[in-house]
Amino acid sequence: MTGGEHAGYLVLLAAAAATFVWRALGAVLVGRVDPEGPVVRWFTLTSYALLAALVVRLVALPTGSLAGIPLAIRLAAVAVTLGVWWLSRRRVLPAVLSGSACIVAAALWLAGG
Amino acid sequence: MPEVDTRSAALAGLRTAAGVPLLLVSGGMAGFGALAHDIGFAAWEAVMAPVVVWALPAQVVAAELHAAGADLVAIALAAALTSMRFFPMAVALLPTFRAGGLLSRLLQAHLMSATSWAFVMRPSAPREPRERLAFHTAFTLTCIAAAAVAAFAGWLGAAALPKPLALGLLFMNAAFFMVLLAESRNRQVLLAVALGVILCPPIHAVLPEASMLLAGVLGGTGAFLFGDRLRS
Repeated sequence: MTGGEHAGYLVLLAAAAATFVWRALGAVLVGRVDPEGPVVRWFTLTSYALLAALVVRLVALPTGSLAGIPLAIRLAAVAVTLGVWWLSRRRVLPAVLSGSACIVAAALWLAGG
Repeated sequence: MPEVDTRSAALAGLRTAAGVPLLLVSGGMAGFGALAHDIGFAAWEAVMAPVVVWALPAQVVAAELHAAGADLVAIALAAALTSMRFFPMAVALLPTFRAGGLLSRLLQAHLMSATSWAFVMRPSAPREPRERLAFHTAFTLTCIAAAAVAAFAGWLGAAALPKPLALGLLFMNAAFFMVLLAESRNRQVLLAVALGVILCPPIHAVLPEASMLLAGVLGGTGAFLFGDRLRS
């Protein structure tokens, strides 16, 4: 994976500026805006839908090395992550580590090790 | 009136950060570091990301879109949509510091993260505004320092660890976000998540570069328009 056409630091500065805009807006408009209003709600819902699409892309349509792991195994790792999260009473680290362990085990198996 | 003790408050912030928050931040940022290596970022760029962006979703979105060949405007737009949450968070958090100058407010707004917000809003955090400011500053600086180290460790891991372990690190990005999304109890938010998941693949088949942004905007708008009665 070689990546896009821009230097990495430019990509990160674009992300930094895009993030800082919201932080700064909050710092400037303190006390003058309703954090529960409809505009804020639309942005919140959109950011959740965008994160969901990000997960779909990372799992189902990966651009990098994860593409070497079969889709069925990636989906199984998703099931394990969410399953462990549920069974461990919503604990984040055990869930994340179990899902990643699935990928490691599958990669070892695929490599014939 | 009790004496203001910013020194103890700062120490308390450091101690509070050096537990579960540090583990969560390090795990997420190690995954990002591995992704950064996978898409060809230099080590110093991976380390710089948590310091200047300090928002894992924006960092991962930017890296992912960059790898897909998107241009800077599309990357900034998508990153902005994931970082919107900082606006209401800042509006709620900053008044509790009563920090006078705009510069001080901007600094705290940059240091703030979803984790620091949750911890400084807990009843066990200091009450006095100046102590809260010291607590929050120490808490967030500890987290950012750990994040930079973890991003470097993840980058090194992806470069030097055996391939299966590097792939496991890489998968942590997706795993963190799916747990974050599953944690939501609000049904309107869950509708937005479901729409984002359903809409992404068909859009991706037609417009691969814009699939994340379009699925986000359409899914969010759909949940906004049709999910009003689901609000609880």
